[in-house]
Amino acid sequence: MTDQREITLTVNGTERTIEVEPRRLLVHAIREDLDMTGTHIGCDTGNCGACTVLRDGEPIKSCMMFATQADGSEIMTVEGMEDLPAAGEDLHPLQEGFHKEHGLQCGYCTPGMLMSGKALLDENPDPDEAEIRDAISGNLCRCTGYQNIVSSIEYAAEKLDEQAAADGGVVAEDGDSDGFDCGVENCCGGPSAETPTPHVEGADPQFDDVTEGSESE
Amino acid sequence: MSSDSDFTTEPKEYQHDDDGGPQPEKHCGHGRGGMGEEVARKEDKRFITGRGNYVDDIKKPGMLHCEIVRSPHAHARVENIDGSRAMDLDGVVAVLTADDLLEHDLATMPTLMDDTQDVLVNEKVKFQSQEVAAVIAEDRYTAKDGAEKVKVDYEVLDPVVDAAEALEDDAPLIREELDDQEDNHIFDWDTGDKEATEEAFAEADVTVTEQMEYQRLHPAPIETCGAVADWDPGNDKMTVHMTSQAPHAHRTLFSQVSGIPEHKVRIVSPDVGGGFGNKVPIYPGYVVAAAASYVLERPVKWIEERSENIQTTGFARDYDMTGEIAATEDGVIQGVKVDVLANHGAYNAAAQPSKFPAGFFNIFTGSYDIEAAYGSLTGVFTNTAPGGVAYRCSFRVTEAVYLIERMVKVLADELGVDPAEIRRRNFIPSDAFPYESATGWNYDSGDYEKALDKALEMADYESYREEQKRRIEEDADKLLGIGISSFTEIVGAGPGKQCDIAGIEMFDSADLRVNPTGNAVLRVGVQTQGQGHETTFAQIVAEELGMDVDNIVVEHGDTDTEPYGLGTYGSRSTPVAGAAAAVAARKVRDKAKSIAANELEAAEEDIQWDRQSGEFHVAGAPDRSITITEIAAGAYMNHPGSEEPGLEATNYYDPPEMTYPFGSYIVVVEVDRETGEVDFEKFVAVDDCGNRINPMIIEGQIHGGLAQGIGTAMLEHVTYDDNGNVTGGDFMNYLLPTANEIPNFETGHTVTPSPHHPIGAKGVGESPTVGSPPAIVNAVVDAMSHAGVTHVEMPMTPDRVWESLNEAGLALDPSQNVSFDFEGGQSEGPADD
Repeated sequence: MTDQREITLTVNGTERTIEVEPRRLLVHAIREDLDMTGTHIGCDTGNCGACTVLRDGEPIKSCMMFATQADGSEIMTVEGMEDLPAAGEDLHPLQEGFHKEHGLQCGYCTPGMLMSGKALLDENPDPDEAEIRDAISGNLCRCTGYQNIVSSIEYAAEKLDEQAAADGGVVAEDGDSDGFDCGVENCCGGPSAETPTPHVEGADPQFDDVTEGSESE
Repeated sequence: MSSDSDFTTEPKEYQHDDDGGPQPEKHCGHGRGGMGEEVARKEDKRFITGRGNYVDDIKKPGMLHCEIVRSPHAHARVENIDGSRAMDLDGVVAVLTADDLLEHDLATMPTLMDDTQDVLVNEKVKFQSQEVAAVIAEDRYTAKDGAEKVKVDYEVLDPVVDAAEALEDDAPLIREELDDQEDNHIFDWDTGDKEATEEAFAEADVTVTEQMEYQRLHPAPIETCGAVADWDPGNDKMTVHMTSQAPHAHRTLFSQVSGIPEHKVRIVSPDVGGGFGNKVPIYPGYVVAAAASYVLERPVKWIEERSENIQTTGFARDYDMTGEIAATEDGVIQGVKVDVLANHGAYNAAAQPSKFPAGFFNIFTGSYDIEAAYGSLTGVFTNTAPGGVAYRCSFRVTEAVYLIERMVKVLADELGVDPAEIRRRNFIPSDAFPYESATGWNYDSGDYEKALDKALEMADYESYREEQKRRIEEDADKLLGIGISSFTEIVGAGPGKQCDIAGIEMFDSADLRVNPTGNAVLRVGVQTQGQGHETTFAQIVAEELGMDVDNIVVEHGDTDTEPYGLGTYGSRSTPVAGAAAAVAARKVRDKAKSIAANELEAAEEDIQWDRQSGEFHVAGAPDRSITITEIAAGAYMNHPGSEEPGLEATNYYDPPEMTYPFGSYIVVVEVDRETGEVDFEKFVAVDDCGNRINPMIIEGQIHGGLAQGIGTAMLEHVTYDDNGNVTGGDFMNYLLPTANEIPNFETGHTVTPSPHHPIGAKGVGESPTVGSPPAIVNAVVDAMSHAGVTHVEMPMTPDRVWESLNEAGLALDPSQNVSFDFEGGQSEGPADD
């Protein structure tokens, strides 16, 4: 009907090239063209956050963006969580937290919540309750009353912190990185880095403001 | 404690005896995940890894998409529908109108209250966004393009959206197609003893009256409604995957509407993203998708947008109520009266048992021993969406509880008696159960004072009262309000003698099959939308059979494999299907005894089952024991001649009575005298749902319901303008609470088992939604009651609260405290930058 555009997305680490109409929403491209149905649709107006994914590390509502606008970007969805280094052999600490702390009931908002939780912890590894509530305030949940979701994210923060400590080297002892691990390989103490190096601005745009943020705490 | 006895009447905390084995971390169901254990949910993994399977996730080869053309007018005659421009689009396969459906006798569908609703508008639109035509296309986007190209000519008529105005003589007639319908009046209903109640009022020391509106709400699950219908012409079979809270009832209704025999209809309710009563009725979209699949012989998907969900599917509440209480000067209630005007929308499509046009609203005597009660109600058609569904509620109990709990506060303020104390003076005493209420309900068990005392203690009630007084004396900027609600719910619909849906009695069912290797599958007639049945029902079986919870799988939602049941709503799953699961497990246990006798070479009457160890043994010889796993093998590999092979049982459970969970909620709020904003200081919820299956899941349900109660009290309202336009019909205007509006809750419990339920459980999911709105309103009113405020309407938006403050002379003049800096706008104190 209308012209198709070729776009390339790196979804959960795998490069995918698809043809889409310019008006096609990113969420439909993810769900229907890439068959990753973990990301949901709940409101069409950007209010509910069920469609939240990470685009270049930033949480976005994928029903509010055309797929073509995301051309060339890195997209992370719930399906990618188990492949993250922090997940080890099993579940990512955030997923584990939602399970252990009963942070979900019907499960429909859960993938979006996980993405918002991930974006928060990437930026602020030790958030307080108000910061967590604020970070998920763009994600509506009709089942849980949010209290257990907050606990789930707190659980994950703690677990990630323990992992970082156990990894050694990640909790940097020099003043430069201020104990911060951006998670990017071979940057400031990411899990795979053998020698922690200072964080490089621009290594991954999602971490640009992080060092500043962690200093203000 | 080795016995066969079933716990029915004795409260249990399910403490694990120290048997030297591994102790569960938190609680105990004998270490096997039975009753009372906080078993982490078995269903979680698929949801946290993105592997859930909701209706919109289903993709079938050749699948078409359905988009519905909706009326922009609330009241209009359809003069012509021209779908030709839509058909010209590449990829549009069909445009359906009422005429097409008439050919297949599918133009109308029955509502649950025996009304008839157009599937696609036949002659006249009766509410905004009503379904007028449907476009079927190869993909979602083309279907939408097609819908935009369908040209409908309307003759616009005057609408009426207000229930009181709809009853006026000159109101437009909405349902002229109905025989003998000359106005917009649907029905009158009353309950109780009018004469005795009038007498109580005539003799009372004091009477109080308050008018209050329970506004129109929408359950608004985060997943909207949708379906994938797939007609298989090779087998003459219709399969519909749909967002259904009641798959079997929907199968029967689908069969009745379509004429396809019921054994050729399969309804599958896959993962459902929240229901809350929204997914109990049948909606036109489901029928259109099925009709289109039948005609086109291809699968057809229909998925609602959010605005379609809120604007057209079952709303809840919309009761305009006037309550009256008659009491002695000591605050002993002698009579209660209520009159209701109920807005049912354009069709009578309330979702409740058919003998109850006002649902269980006649539970409005609440937790109190009131001798005389009378209620009357008038149902009205308006040009608004049809509904009246039980939004996380047992059929209008929410409205009833709001009424009585608000009125008790009004009475307390009139008499100057503490709201906790006035409740105490009127509670049904704990030794009065079973108790028959003035409106004929038979309460099973309760200890209301115990729950209230616990809540008062948890809330540190007295010190908040002191703080409240201090703030009033000091003329503080922020007032403190303390609200109480001591509610009684009525759930577990229901006994076949009273309750039916479209004629089908409201029993439920469970089918338990133990496999040769000792694990089991439990199939139930209810369906989960997040309640955690796959875990809690497995726990019931684990408890009753001594199996490990990990060895039990619970299946639900597929009418081809599950036994017939009436579905999940009205907190009925545990009271009805939970009972069926327990009874089925006990039947298996009975058969297991005969197999155990065979295996242990003992007489069957000598075989005992030990709940603690979960093993069967010979009386007096605990060493001669056998596990259910070994018995399962015996059932298939060495069955006794006296029994059939196999190890399974089915139970259809018709509950003898409803169950009556209860609780006391205490809410402390701060009311800002400048802005009318309300902040939650403390939120205590003490619930009693009888014996508890999984405390973690119960607590999760309480949290969720309380959040919905806050949404009700503070934010949510489906609003209309005078032209019938929905002005609160999407998530930009219908406000669900976010994590920022919801406080942390402090939960507690008491345990008063239901004497007639096989495991003494009562159901809990709805208690918080039912019980919390009056507690919240009572708290806000309480902050201003010293200045004469008796009521604030929900949702208690800051402007409404400020109006009340202002009328009571409590509002502070904002100009006193606010300075304006014209660069950065309004700010308090020094500017930020």
